[in-house]
Amino acid sequence: MAGQTHILLVDDEASLREPLADYLTKQGFRVQQASDASQARSVMNAFQFDIILLDIMMPGEDGLSFCRHVREKTEIPVIFISAKGEELERIVGLELGADDYVTKPFSPRELVARIKVVLRRTSNGNGNGVKPGSGAIYQFSGWTLKTDQRSLIDSEGVMVPLSSGEYQMLLALLSRAGQVLNRDQLLDITQGREAHAFDRAVDNQISRLRRKIEADPKNPAIVKTVWGGGYVLAGDVQTL
Amino acid sequence: MKRLLPKSLIGQLLALVAVTLLIAQAINIVLLYRGAQNQKIVEASVAAAGRITGEVERMSEPGFRERRLRRDGKRWIRRNRPSLTVQSAIGPSQRRLPAVEERAARAFANMGISVLAVQVAQVETLPANMTNSVIGRGGERRKTMRAVGYRNKPRPIDGYILMSAQIADGQWLNIASTIRDRNPRLVRTLLFQTAVIYLILLIPLIWLGRHISRPLKALTKGAEDFRPGAQEPIAESGPPDTRQLIAAFNEMNGRVGAMLDEKDVMLGAIGHDLRTPLAALRVRVESVEDEDERNRMIAGIDDMDRTLDDILSLARLGRSKEAAEPTDISALIETVADEFTDMGADVSFTRSGRITAPIRATLIRRALRNLISNAVNYGQSAAISVEKSGDKDGDKSGDKRGDKRGDKLVIHVDDQGPGLAEDQIEAMFEPFARAEISRNRATGGSGLGLTLARAIMRDHGGDVQLKNRAEGGLRASLILSAN
Repeated sequence: MAGQTHILLVDDEASLREPLADYLTKQGFRVQQASDASQARSVMNAFQFDIILLDIMMPGEDGLSFCRHVREKTEIPVIFISAKGEELERIVGLELGADDYVTKPFSPRELVARIKVVLRRTSNGNGNGVKPGSGAIYQFSGWTLKTDQRSLIDSEGVMVPLSSGEYQMLLALLSRAGQVLNRDQLLDITQGREAHAFDRAVDNQISRLRRKIEADPKNPAIVKTVWGGGYVLAGDVQTL
Repeated sequence: MKRLLPKSLIGQLLALVAVTLLIAQAINIVLLYRGAQNQKIVEASVAAAGRITGEVERMSEPGFRERRLRRDGKRWIRRNRPSLTVQSAIGPSQRRLPAVEERAARAFANMGISVLAVQVAQVETLPANMTNSVIGRGGERRKTMRAVGYRNKPRPIDGYILMSAQIADGQWLNIASTIRDRNPRLVRTLLFQTAVIYLILLIPLIWLGRHISRPLKALTKGAEDFRPGAQEPIAESGPPDTRQLIAAFNEMNGRVGAMLDEKDVMLGAIGHDLRTPLAALRVRVESVEDEDERNRMIAGIDDMDRTLDDILSLARLGRSKEAAEPTDISALIETVADEFTDMGADVSFTRSGRITAPIRATLIRRALRNLISNAVNYGQSAAISVEKSGDKDGDKSGDKRGDKRGDKLVIHVDDQGPGLAEDQIEAMFEPFARAEISRNRATGGSGLGLTLARAIMRDHGGDVQLKNRAEGGLRASLILSAN
């Protein structure tokens, strides 16, 4: 990433696209706009992008179809901007290989945070060759994490609901299994931000996660604390 | 009385046929009875007329000693012969039978016996002056009966017929004849008949009833479990009109499904068209310098978004494509409770082991979120607990669907608020209803929270209940059937 992150913003609604592009520019990104899929294709031929923000509902070719096209050709991460909040559409989007989604109306700050998380994940988190969040299935200690549906399932097939924070935390640990991650790293990976002093966010998420997946949360066997301020996912992880 | 009426089609059909049959037979009985009544009078009259004919013939025989009759002396008069009097034996106070008189007169004429006038009357008791001129009473009759081998007890006497025939001026022949009951078992016979007819009718009736009611039952069940679009058409069976009904129902089902699909498309469009400008606004708000102002605007937009979300969810409910999956309820509650504690709300959850149930997690999470949000907004805090019950908390909720084992999973959300007036509780489930304290909307929310929660739970075969707690505060309960 030489210098500025280059973003392609695809949305047919100029009323949203333009102020969003302004905002992202102010946040230090370089932004190209496209009002539909065909325009986006031609812009993509002309420029090199680091990430694509994509509206789902567009006249003509819709965002899902365009995402599929992007996936076939490139590795550029995609974040969906969707007006439909229904879980099912989110799943469809993620199954197509999108890296994340936000639903309208979204907080621009949150969008920026997510862009950073996705970029972090795709640029330096590719250690084991699997792009997290694109349909990968992780199996560990009897648990199964399906990233296309963001669902965690236990050995008996029972779904255990996770908050998105817990999910991100688990995914970060799973994709770097056996690697010790300190709080700053985890915060950076999961939320794309730096820790404040006395930041308890990571410890909170970890303890919540443990309550859900550990047989004995006080004596964790899966997410272990490492002396000196870090966490590691112990045990075997299989990636399907 | 109403409670005695049979509820099923077959029952009503059978009852109706039974009643109709009984009425018809009753009419029959009355007619037959009257016929029989008439018949026994005629019978008695025929006997009387016969005697009179015999007497007239005897009197006209040569050597008939008229004087024997003219002389005084009862011993000469043989019993059970017509008496000869100057006046008719029938007085004006006795009930005359003109129809019988007419028939008797005709009979006399046919036999060539000249009779000037005939009078017939029916009496209950035999007049004293006729005791010697009565037919069918006492030993004479019994003798005749035995002679023809009729051994049964004589049938009871049911009054008398008096017949007086004027054979010449000042000469009346008078005879009395007993009326006997013809068939005292008439009513019993008819009841028996009715029963036999009814039993024979029963078989085809039951068959017919089942033939009609089985497809109707299937239709009823189909209507009860009505889930537009997602339903197999009901098999068309039964008589033609029932088939037509089922076909019409299936067609209606299809139309409703199509309408709902249309509605979904429309709602999607509305959601999109409202959320996009909202999103644009949300982005623009970031450039507002004043932080307080900006935060207020953000809160306003969030509020609008939530309301929109509630409305769309409510409108889309029952059309969720999400499949029910076995889910860890405790983990779900924790996730929702954490959302609130992260925002600084006082929400606690006492975890009670692992509890799973097949649910649509997104929806249940939403219902729970609504209840907790109410508790936090109106009751300062939310204490969540889970209860797995046989049917302890069954109340009078009268849910038909939680049948099988009645196993229920209840998630209680208790608050520290003032509770609700008892008569207000049900009204809180109405869309846009608000407790009086929150009328000013300072507490926010769409007013759809409870409506949506209840709709979601009912969609899951459960319910939402509100109850004031004895120790103060309100208890909102999400009831799930555990199977």
